[in-house]
Amino acid sequence: MVFTFILVPLVMASLMPLIGKISKKFLPDILTNITLLFLLIYSITIGRQIISSGTGIRQLVWLGQQLNITLALDGFSLLMLFLISLVSFAVGLYCINYMEHYGSKAVFYALFLLMIAGMNGLVLATDLFSIYVFLEVAAVASYALVAFGLGYDELEASFKYLMLSAVATAFILVSIALIFGFTDSLRLHDVALAFQLLNAKYLVGLCVTLFIFGFGLKAAIVPFHAWLPDAHPSAPAPISAMLSGVLIKISGIYAITRIFLNVFGLNPAISTVLMYLGVISILVGAIIAFSQNDIKRMLAYSSISQIGYIILGIGLGTPLGILGGLFHLFNHGIFKSLLFLNSGAVEQATGTRALDKMGGLAKRMPITAATSVVGSLSIAGVPPLNGFWSKLIIIIALVQAKAYGFAIVAVLASGITLWYYLIIQRQAFFGKLNETWNNVKEAPFWMSASMIILALICIAIGILFPIIIKSWLVPATNVLSAGVYYTINLFRF
Amino acid sequence: MTPANLLIPILLPVGLGIISFLIPSKTKLIREIISIIGAGVIFYVAVVLFRIKNLNYIVPWAGTGIDFDLRLYHFSGFILLGLSGFLFLIVLYSSIKMRGHNRIREYYGYVFLTAALANGAVLANNFVLLVFFWEGLLLTLYGLITIGGKESYRTAVKSFIISGFCDFCMILGIGILWYATGTLRMSDISVQPHGLTAVSFFLMMIGAIGKAGGMPFHTWIPDAAIDAPVSVMAFLPASVEKLLGIYLLTRISLDFFKLQVNSAFCITLMIIGSATIVLAVFMALIQKDFKKLLSFHAISQVGYMILGIGTGIPIGIAGGVFHMINHAMYKCGLFLSAGSVEHRTGTTELKKLGGLYREMPVTALCFAVCAAAISGVWPLNGFVSKEMIFHGSKETGYLIFTIAAWVGAIFTFASFLKAGHSTFLGPRTKDIPRVKESESLILLPMIILAGLCILFGVYNKLPLTLFIQPILEGHVPVGEHLDFSNHGLAVANPIAMISILCLFIALAIHFYGWNRGEKRAYLASEPIHNLPVLKMLYNKSEARFFDLYEQGVKVLKGLSYILFVGVDRTIDWIYEKFVTFIGRTFSRALSWAHSGNYANYLAWCIAGLVIIILFIGKLLR
Repeated sequence: MVFTFILVPLVMASLMPLIGKISKKFLPDILTNITLLFLLIYSITIGRQIISSGTGIRQLVWLGQQLNITLALDGFSLLMLFLISLVSFAVGLYCINYMEHYGSKAVFYALFLLMIAGMNGLVLATDLFSIYVFLEVAAVASYALVAFGLGYDELEASFKYLMLSAVATAFILVSIALIFGFTDSLRLHDVALAFQLLNAKYLVGLCVTLFIFGFGLKAAIVPFHAWLPDAHPSAPAPISAMLSGVLIKISGIYAITRIFLNVFGLNPAISTVLMYLGVISILVGAIIAFSQNDIKRMLAYSSISQIGYIILGIGLGTPLGILGGLFHLFNHGIFKSLLFLNSGAVEQATGTRALDKMGGLAKRMPITAATSVVGSLSIAGVPPLNGFWSKLIIIIALVQAKAYGFAIVAVLASGITLWYYLIIQRQAFFGKLNETWNNVKEAPFWMSASMIILALICIAIGILFPIIIKSWLVPATNVLSAGVYYTINLFRF
Repeated sequence: MTPANLLIPILLPVGLGIISFLIPSKTKLIREIISIIGAGVIFYVAVVLFRIKNLNYIVPWAGTGIDFDLRLYHFSGFILLGLSGFLFLIVLYSSIKMRGHNRIREYYGYVFLTAALANGAVLANNFVLLVFFWEGLLLTLYGLITIGGKESYRTAVKSFIISGFCDFCMILGIGILWYATGTLRMSDISVQPHGLTAVSFFLMMIGAIGKAGGMPFHTWIPDAAIDAPVSVMAFLPASVEKLLGIYLLTRISLDFFKLQVNSAFCITLMIIGSATIVLAVFMALIQKDFKKLLSFHAISQVGYMILGIGTGIPIGIAGGVFHMINHAMYKCGLFLSAGSVEHRTGTTELKKLGGLYREMPVTALCFAVCAAAISGVWPLNGFVSKEMIFHGSKETGYLIFTIAAWVGAIFTFASFLKAGHSTFLGPRTKDIPRVKESESLILLPMIILAGLCILFGVYNKLPLTLFIQPILEGHVPVGEHLDFSNHGLAVANPIAMISILCLFIALAIHFYGWNRGEKRAYLASEPIHNLPVLKMLYNKSEARFFDLYEQGVKVLKGLSYILFVGVDRTIDWIYEKFVTFIGRTFSRALSWAHSGNYANYLAWCIAGLVIIILFIGKLLR
């Protein structure tokens, strides 16, 4: 049942190198995409069913005998699973064409599925040690994927990413060790209960700080962000889409949110720290982004800025703030993947990522241009697209909580966001056609299809946002706003 | 007849408009036949309704006093009768004149929609409903003017903006009146204007005068005369808008506000009226285009109506309202005869026309009757209504207004002598090949209108007792006689004598100018055109110096230039140069810091860790 989310991609990942011996391209393509489609449908149908029959269903997992691993699926986890499977499905379609000439497809898919398995496991885990293990599974896969091109830049970026992550995970491990030392358990329920009884606020403060370093580095919160602008652009475009769209959210924000809100409980100190970090990330990311000339680097800085919005909303801690943060997390997953896929299409067609060498590509690549307009307007928060609603909710939540300064920064940064996305549009897609690109062709079928799907989702969520909020976001928000008591009451087994 | 039947004059034209809009433009005859029969039915309904006199139809609509409230009583029934009569004549005329026009579907659609909206506006007994119909007319006016062709869009926009401004004033006035009286039901409102309601009076007056085309809201009419189809001119500025505007002005001055004779309000109205008479007639005098000349008269004659109503004296008001219906008839007739000439010769420039009376005798005769009527020649209807206005204005004691009206009469006749002389008499010019008389369907409306002009003049007792006098019932002291028909055609009094003398002066002026212009009739007005001060004023006026709209456009253009340079460019500079500079500087500095140096990055992380620990420790304390 719940274990399927981890087992299916894990098994497929391990089979993939073997399948690669039989068929170089056809079978890996088909099987991977079937797996991803299955996960998407499974999360929508079975996942929703599990959620509706009772919040936080617990699954005791055993293989012949009882194992001490417990998985739980609740509204928050399901939202994340849905996002992972939705984005990875679109990315999988995109890879059919994009990865044609990029080395072994089978190995690539194996790493890709392994990363998905790691993220799915992280989302479902109910103890700190499992969280750590699955975090490393996803991370190791992502190091390899960043370096997949095997060029100088790729290897350098991957190495830097690996080294910084190693430091971060070391701090995470330190924090986990501290917690274990004080509470004698790593299960979220026990830890939450113990901290309620212990009343050790400085210990919590220390652990929070260590986790902010560790998970904040994964999430690329300023000042722990510096690896991201090197790593994300270096990866193949679909992997950039996965990393920026999903991985930083799962291994960073999901972990922070789950542990801080549901285990430690969000006190004013943590809330303040998170909100300041959010605002700094918003500003730094946005300001650096608009002087970039490399389109993927610009998108990477933009991710830092948007992560800031999510942290700001969740850090505010009010139900509306959490709702806005999660909604923005979800939307950002969609449109940032879309934009990275667009940049991949452009890079594949022209061979460059430099904005000043492009120009007028809309005439030759209408689908890419149109979908990137949708993505850009969404991320800049132009109504009625999805990014507008999530930013609006965050800003309303800030105003309601009387955090006017934060609200003003959020609005201003949204203006800067629009500014640099218009720069992309003007330099890459519109204006005069650069003569060099006269023979450029539109992206192949599957790449176009996956970009169109994501663009349509952006528009559909923008128009139907009340439905999305009601059916996906409210259950997740309920889990988080119930705070520590949710873990104490429901993760008891 | 049930009250719901009041919807027929509104819904039936809407239906007809939709039908004629749907019939393909290639179809012949069907559209015309349906339109003529439909307009006939509407006219019949109007006659029946006029005989019923009193009906009320109320349906709750938008709440808070805004009801769908239609009220038929004598005055609105009379205007309804007039509107549907003119609709019928125009449709009859258009069936030939507009045949084969490439936007014929829209033309009929707009004409019927105009009729529906005008009928609705007249029947409305709730201000919101009135405004609804009144504003709708703005759109159909725009649409009808654009039918004239590519050039007419500018004029259409001009008319739209001027009328829109007037309507805006009216809405503002209505709003104030609502605030002051607390009701929107028109028949319940009757106040003494002072303070706030005085403002409301002036605003609503602007709305009414603007609709009727009085100065200074007239400037689109001469432009439209050139650009719009002649039947549109005969339909809208000549008849429908006059009826509506003067209807509202009468309602304002009689019903909504109780005006005292010679109060400031009355004097204002009389000043506007007499100024409109004199200024517009001077402009009309020098025109060298038949339609444009007529359009200035359409403005000038409004002055008489405003003057008559502004006197506040029963005979003056009755004269003003009577003049309204008379003017609608003869001005409509005049425009139609100009259209008939244009139909056959292809031009309305007086210089190119001449001696047409042999070839177009019926048109010439109808023109002569209508021109005589507008000039106030005994015993036609124009004489009767003008006499009533002269008497009314003299009774107020301000003789200056009567004199202005007389001056208007002189030059009205002079300009029509010029127009008639140069079109139908004199030598035949060679510019135009031989022509035939127009078709009978074009002549029929003109004959009917000319006949009515004679009937309403010779037998003025009929319209006065049937239509005009009941309007004033309840507005004069009990016991005072309400029979104006004995004034009628009497000539044995000083005012009538002077009026007739005016006609002879006009005749003299015309023949003097004709002789000076080497017997070319279209130059007959030149001696006056060339008078020292007048010439300068004329030149300025021809250059649209006095056109508030054109001046307004100039002022706005200047203002927009100043704003563009002073505000827009400045802000643009701040955005483009200043903000970009600041942004780029910060951005460069931060980018420079991201050098790709692993040690640096790790240092930031550790520094961040330390700062957060210190910060959180401080917060937790």
